Amino acid sequence: MRDKTHSEQVERWANYVKNNPDWKKKLKPFLDSQIIISRRIYKKLSETEEGKEKIKMIRNLKN
Amino acid sequence: MDRKVSDRTILDEFAEKFCEIAEKYVKYIICSGFVSIAHGRSRGTEDIDMIIERIPIEIFINLHKNLEKAGFECMQSDNPKIIYEEYLMNGDSIRYTFGEGGIPPEMEVKFAKDILDEEQLKTRKKLPFTGLDIYFSSIESNIAFKEELLKSDKDIEDARHLRIIYKEEINEEIINKIKRNIRILRLKKNER
Repeated sequence: MRDKTHSEQVERWANYVKNNPDWKKKLKPFLDSQIIISRRIYKKLSETEEGKEKIKMIRNLKN
Repeated sequence: MDRKVSDRTILDEFAEKFCEIAEKYVKYIICSGFVSIAHGRSRGTEDIDMIIERIPIEIFINLHKNLEKAGFECMQSDNPKIIYEEYLMNGDSIRYTFGEGGIPPEMEVKFAKDILDEEQLKTRKKLPFTGLDIYFSSIESNIAFKEELLKSDKDIEDARHLRIIYKEEINEEIINKIKRNIRILRLKKNER
């Protein structure tokens, strides 16, 4: 189990979301950045010699 | 809840696009992590979980073809017959990404596997708080699965988050009933 401050932060943020209609605007850059970074890494990886194979292995893709 | 289009995240757009097509062919629900994220949980995910009712192969082929037409690609195979018979019918999930190359996010789709899933489909709902035009499994169901079955730190925090957001509306009786069914059907525990 994570420590107390972690669960306090979960609670604090949930209360913010509940009470502030602008929560999505605040959260969007954070949520999108994870997808954007992930896409960037896959793109870079696909440009390397064995990158495409590695991506297949990572994501268990079809041949 | 009033929200501008520009607030939509990459995950929101991906989910709505996929669900808009799925809804024409099959009853579905979005469940698990994305439910919490759509309610503001500040954590990432690469996949969105979707449970669909069991449909005949002919309907699935139409669904798959229309998803492909819209730009979605199935990671398991291009052949809907293989996807249906070797994955869905075996209880395995299939994964769709948007555009070529299998880059995130992805929609993880599986058939309803028992009465718990069927009940989730039956009680599905749109959740105005999310601002999304998609069907989710009920909040009670999400909390029950996370607290009784999944139980990782992340899942417990997801449930806590949902409990705070829906503090005044949550029906504990329903949560307890679902938890009981989880223990019987998924954890194979005897309940008297």
